[in-house]
Amino acid sequence: MAWEYSEKTKQLFMDAVHGKPGTHLGEIETPDGMGEHGSIACGDSMRFTFRVERHPTDATKDVIVAARYLTFGCTSAIAASEALCTLIEQGRYTPIDALKIQNTDIVEFLEGLPSQKIHCSVMGAEALEAAVFNWAQKRGVDLARLGIDMHADEKDEGRIVCQCFSITEPYLRRKIRELNLRTIPEITDAIKAGGACMSCHQVPGGLQDLLDEIWGRSPTKVLGLTQITMPDPDAAGPGKPALSPYQFSKKVEQTLDNYVRPMLRQDGGDLEIIDIKDSLVYCRLTGSCQGCAGAAHTLRMLVEQKLKEMVDEKVRVIQV
Amino acid sequence: MSLIYADNNATTAVAPEVLEAMTPFFQTEYFNPSSMYEPARRTAQAITRARAQVAAHFRLADPKQILFTSCATESNNAAIVGTARANVSRRHIITTAVEHPAVLEVCKEMQRDGRDVTFLGVDGDGNLSIEEFVRAIRPDTGLVSIIHANNETGVLFPIPQLARITKETDPSIVFHTDATQSVGKIPLDLENEYRDVDLLSFSGHKLHAPKGIGVLYVKRGTACRPLLIGGHQEEGRRAGTENTAYIVGLAKAMELAAAHYEDETTRIRELRDRLESVLLERIPEIRVNGRAAPRLPNTSNVSCHYVEGEALLYQLNELGICASSGSACTSGSLEPSHVLRAMHVPFTAAHGSVRFSFSRYNTRAEVDRVIDVFPQIVANLRRLSPYWDQTRDRPRES
Repeated sequence: MAWEYSEKTKQLFMDAVHGKPGTHLGEIETPDGMGEHGSIACGDSMRFTFRVERHPTDATKDVIVAARYLTFGCTSAIAASEALCTLIEQGRYTPIDALKIQNTDIVEFLEGLPSQKIHCSVMGAEALEAAVFNWAQKRGVDLARLGIDMHADEKDEGRIVCQCFSITEPYLRRKIRELNLRTIPEITDAIKAGGACMSCHQVPGGLQDLLDEIWGRSPTKVLGLTQITMPDPDAAGPGKPALSPYQFSKKVEQTLDNYVRPMLRQDGGDLEIIDIKDSLVYCRLTGSCQGCAGAAHTLRMLVEQKLKEMVDEKVRVIQV
Repeated sequence: MSLIYADNNATTAVAPEVLEAMTPFFQTEYFNPSSMYEPARRTAQAITRARAQVAAHFRLADPKQILFTSCATESNNAAIVGTARANVSRRHIITTAVEHPAVLEVCKEMQRDGRDVTFLGVDGDGNLSIEEFVRAIRPDTGLVSIIHANNETGVLFPIPQLARITKETDPSIVFHTDATQSVGKIPLDLENEYRDVDLLSFSGHKLHAPKGIGVLYVKRGTACRPLLIGGHQEEGRRAGTENTAYIVGLAKAMELAAAHYEDETTRIRELRDRLESVLLERIPEIRVNGRAAPRLPNTSNVSCHYVEGEALLYQLNELGICASSGSACTSGSLEPSHVLRAMHVPFTAAHGSVRFSFSRYNTRAEVDRVIDVFPQIVANLRRLSPYWDQTRDRPRES
C-alpha cells in the first residue's frame, strides 16, 4: 500500500523530523497541562503538553500560548501532532475553547488523511482532552460544573470489547456517536478497535451489536469470521499395538536403559526419546554421538534392532 | 538522485536477458501451443524446453513434475486445497505460525471447512522446534506445509529433515514447502537433499522474471487434485492456455539464477553482513531479527526500538531508498507482523522493523549509502519519541 498523504502531511512530517524552527516537537517543562494517548503496544502514542498565560483572577480565561508533543508513530501520527500544536497556538484558545478542536479539524489542516489513518487525528484530539483535564485539576477548575464531561474514567472502567487495543464499551459508545461511526471499518479507521484479531466484530456485545444498538438497526447477522483455535497438538489418537501405548513406551524405555544407553555412554554419548507414535520411536542422539556421521546407522542398526528384538517386530526408529 | 532498490523479497527487476528471451512470444511466436499448425508446434516446443530447463535447475530427471501456474499464491492454494480434496479422510494439516498469508490463510480456510490445523510456533530466533513438529504428526495427518525461507526475516527451516521425518513416519502424508523466497537464492536438489519434498511452490518475480508466472512442483505419484479445471493443459493438472512468454522468461531467469548462486552466497551475503554489523555498531537499541538462525544471504530484518517503521520507511523513501516494514501501519491490518510476533519480538521493537533485501543488482556503494543515512533517520524519530531520553540517547526510564 503506497503512501497517499497530502503534500501538507508530508511537509509537516519532514519539517518535524528535521527539527525545523517553528515546529513543535518536544516537551514543556513544568507544563500547565499534560495529556497522553495511545501505547507502544498499539503502535502509536503521543505526549502532549501546553503552557498557558494565566489570567490573574479567572482560571477559565487562561490562554494557551505554547504547545509541544512527543509522538511515537507513523508519518501521519507525527504530522497530526504538528497540526494539533499549530492549530492551538494559532487560535490563542483558552483550554476549554481548545476542546472544540475535533479530529476533523486536524484532518482538514492536514488537507486530508487516508481513511485507515484517521485514528492518528483522533489520537491528537484525545491527548488534547487529557491535557485539558490535567490543566483543570491543576488550576482548580471544576469542568463538571461548567457542564463539560471529561469521561476521565471510561478508558479504565467498563467492559473491554476490543482486547487487542484494550478499548472499553463506554469509550466505544461515546466515540461511535461523536464521530458518527456507522460500520466496523469506520470504527477501526477511527479508533483502531477491531483492527487486529477481529474476534470482537460479530460476537454478542461486540462491535456490530453496539452499532446496531446505537443506530437502531435491526441486527443483520453477517456471516462472521469464526474464531480460529489452535488445536492441541498432543490430541493424537494412538493406534493399537499389541501392548497398550503405556506398556509399549515403558518397554521401549527399559530396553534402551538396559541395552542401548550403556553402550552409547561408553563413547560419551546418549539418546533422547522425542516421541513414540504407535510403533514409531523418534529419537535423537546426544552427547558425543550428536552430529556423528554414523548416527543414522547407529540408530538403525543398534537401536532399531534391539527394540525389534525386545519389544515388537514392528518398531521403526526415526532419527530426529 | 538514483533509486536504491533494497526490497527484492517483495519483487525484483526483470533481467534484460529475460525480457529479451520473452519478446518473440508476444508478436511472432504468439500461437496457442494446443493448436495444430506448424507455428504452434514451435510454441509448444518452447514450453517443453522451458519445462526441461526448470526441471534441470532442481536436478529433476522428469520435467513433467513441473507445473506452470500464474503465481506462488496459486501454487500454494493448489497444493493445499488439492491435497485436501485428494484425501478427504485425512483431516489434519500441520503448518507454522510464520507462513506467508498465501499458506496461512488457506490453512485457516481449511479449518473453517472443518479440518484440524496445527500451527507450529517458533522461538526468539525464528527457529522451529523439531520435537514439537514430531509430536504434531497424527495418524490422520494428510499434509505438512512449511515455508522454506521466511519472506520477512529470511530464516530458513530445515526442510530436508522435516520432509524426511514426515515420509519416514508415513509415506502417504504429503509434504509441501513454499519456497518462494529461496528458489533462485540458494540451490535446491529435488532428487537428493530435498527428495522427500512432494510439492514445492515458487514464483518468477522474486528471481528477476516478471510477475504472473509461478511453478508448482508435483512429485510423481503425489495425490493432489487440480485447482483450475477446464482444459487439458499441463496434463489436466492445471487448466488454462499456457503463458508461453512468461514460461520462457522464467526458464531464462532460473538459468541466470543458477549462474549467480555463488555471487548470492558471497558478495551479497557480505553486503548484507556489512550493513548489519555497521548498523548494530552505530545505532543504540537495535536488533537484527533472526540473526542467530540459518538465514538467506540477502535478507536483513532490523528493529529499532521506540520508533515506528512506517515513519522510517517514509524518510528512506524521501532519500530514494526502497525497503519495507513489518510495522502495523504498513500491514493493512493494525497489527505488527505476525512473523515478528510469533518470534516474541517485543512490541517496542516489532513496530520499528525494517526489512532490507538485496539482489545481484545491488552494489556496495548502495549499501554504503544506506549505512550513511539510516542512523540519522532513526535518530530523527527518536528525537520525537516519548519513549526516548534525548539527553542520554537511550530509552527513557519509567
